[in-house]
Amino acid sequence: MNLEIKNVEKLYKIVSTQTIIHALNGVDITLPRGKTLGIVGESGCGKSTLARLVTGLESPNRGSILWNGLPIHDVNKGSFSTKKSAIQLVFQDPYSSLNPRQRIGDAISEILSVHKLAEKEMINSRVSELLALVGLANDLKHRYPHQLSGGQRQRVSIARALAAEPSLLVLDEPVSALDVSVRAEVMNLLIDLREKLNLTYIFISHDLAMIRYISDLVAVMYLGKIVEFGQWEQVINNPKHPYTQALIQAMPDHTVIGNPESLAKTLEGEVPDPVNLPTGCAFHLRCIKATPACTFATQTLIEISSQHLVACMEVQA
Amino acid sequence: MTVQPLLSVIDLGISTIQDPRVLVNNVSFHINPGEAVGVVGESGSGKTLSALSILGLLPRGVGVVSGEILFNGKNLLTLKPEELRQIRGNEIAMIYQDPMTALNPVMKLGKQLLEVIASHDGIDSESDNRVRALLSEVGIPDVNRAMESYAHEFSGGMRQRIMIAMALLLSPKLLIADEPTTALDVTIQQQILALVSDARKKRDMSMLWITHDLGVVANLVNRLNVMYAGRIVESGTVEEIFRRPKHPYTAGLLSSLPTSTGTNRERLTSISGVPEKPWLVGNSCGFAARCSRVQSRCHNEIPLSVAKDDSTVACFFPIGSK
Repeated sequence: MNLEIKNVEKLYKIVSTQTIIHALNGVDITLPRGKTLGIVGESGCGKSTLARLVTGLESPNRGSILWNGLPIHDVNKGSFSTKKSAIQLVFQDPYSSLNPRQRIGDAISEILSVHKLAEKEMINSRVSELLALVGLANDLKHRYPHQLSGGQRQRVSIARALAAEPSLLVLDEPVSALDVSVRAEVMNLLIDLREKLNLTYIFISHDLAMIRYISDLVAVMYLGKIVEFGQWEQVINNPKHPYTQALIQAMPDHTVIGNPESLAKTLEGEVPDPVNLPTGCAFHLRCIKATPACTFATQTLIEISSQHLVACMEVQA
Repeated sequence: MTVQPLLSVIDLGISTIQDPRVLVNNVSFHINPGEAVGVVGESGSGKTLSALSILGLLPRGVGVVSGEILFNGKNLLTLKPEELRQIRGNEIAMIYQDPMTALNPVMKLGKQLLEVIASHDGIDSESDNRVRALLSEVGIPDVNRAMESYAHEFSGGMRQRIMIAMALLLSPKLLIADEPTTALDVTIQQQILALVSDARKKRDMSMLWITHDLGVVANLVNRLNVMYAGRIVESGTVEEIFRRPKHPYTAGLLSSLPTSTGTNRERLTSISGVPEKPWLVGNSCGFAARCSRVQSRCHNEIPLSVAKDDSTVACFFPIGSK
């Protein structure tokens, strides 16, 4: 009972410029059921592409993704292999993921009727149940999305995802668009739901603090590859890859104050173009530890201590 | 001897013009020469409007209804548009979250930057060098090529650098920054923060930095104003605000933030409810509905800022009091 992502590659062809974007370049992850995998990385690292592949919105060019031993997208049958959608996705922006002209109750009941998840006469009570589950008052059923706050809207998105009784929930930056004072509540809700419904999460964020708070396992991505993977305590408090170390240093931290030296640059340059990937280690152009070998040798994820994997020759050496 | 502040905002009120809705109320703060001041608040708290009003850049339909904005002793609110234009850019410059709002997409950068000098100081033989020197100071790799390029040819981080160069071009005394790093990745954000911090110190320039992210300002500014529902609820040195927050909102906000490192994963204390709209607050404390220390007085009276030493707090029952 787990999620297996095996050597997944994803390319996007840009027709107008005849170029190819390498979004994912060989990703391997095994996530046991009931655990939360946090994926952290900057824009263009492939974290959202991975979310789309895991939910079956797109299929990989290479490799496979299995949930409970079954492929997410059965290429031969051209359909999803599970009848109920065992995997659901919650998006970052609850403003654009809800239909502005549909009442909240209808937005949830639609899913129940389309997927035949409840008998007709049971739909109304099931909607109430789902609203209660995410901590929303029952009378919000009759409201429209614009009448709700950002936090309430995100709760509706979570309720819609839960309507399909998923076992795996992919959360793509679920609190990033919310006001700071509302984020903690939604994070606590996600943690409660995980316990109550025995859910498995993939939690995608650029915010390491949120990742640290909710994840069991953490994967750090850079240019379509995982550069570090392991238990959260290991990756966050004992990072080994130079990129992870730089990322952690660059995170604004409200507990370190009045220390202008902390603003010192941790990393030079910007993420290279995913159209023309650098040779060797994708990070070598910005890495302080780079050696000539890094410019041509491909790095693979290797276990450096129990369940802590790093893709860096310098660390492995 | 007290220092004459570079900028004093006194009792500022901003409201929509038709169907009057109060957006900012009773806002007072000052910036001393060479000082960096932060404004922290959530969306709708009035932090951006307060900043825009300094330069007379409020959006259509919104206006200042009360108060004074004194810059070097001159009230900016009573200046003629032409007089304000001389201050804008020359003495007070602004950088924005989205650099494309400040850059012309169809004009080469070199020409665009020179135009800034032309419209204020007038072009001379040194102007070109001035532009090039600044572009290289903000970390543009190939200055010659950049001068001949358009804004869309740069990444988000590079555009932000160019906008900063443009703002610094006329050596302003005050730089107003409205969340210029919010849309950037953290490693690029770090680079930009370091760049602005260095450039500011080198010029002894004052700065007003607006953000929703407490972590960003923790090491960037000297003093901080915390805004909520159109008012400043607390102000003080960074040290005071982060270590000994007095307003329940500031304290709640700080304890609701998880840290990015460490092993503590205790349940986050959250602030229930949602931020109140400033025009719906009426005759009460804007935070009363969400406050853990609320008492009946908070629902019937507006708490005004009370100053003590270098800090202020607008709360009847601040933390640390009996």
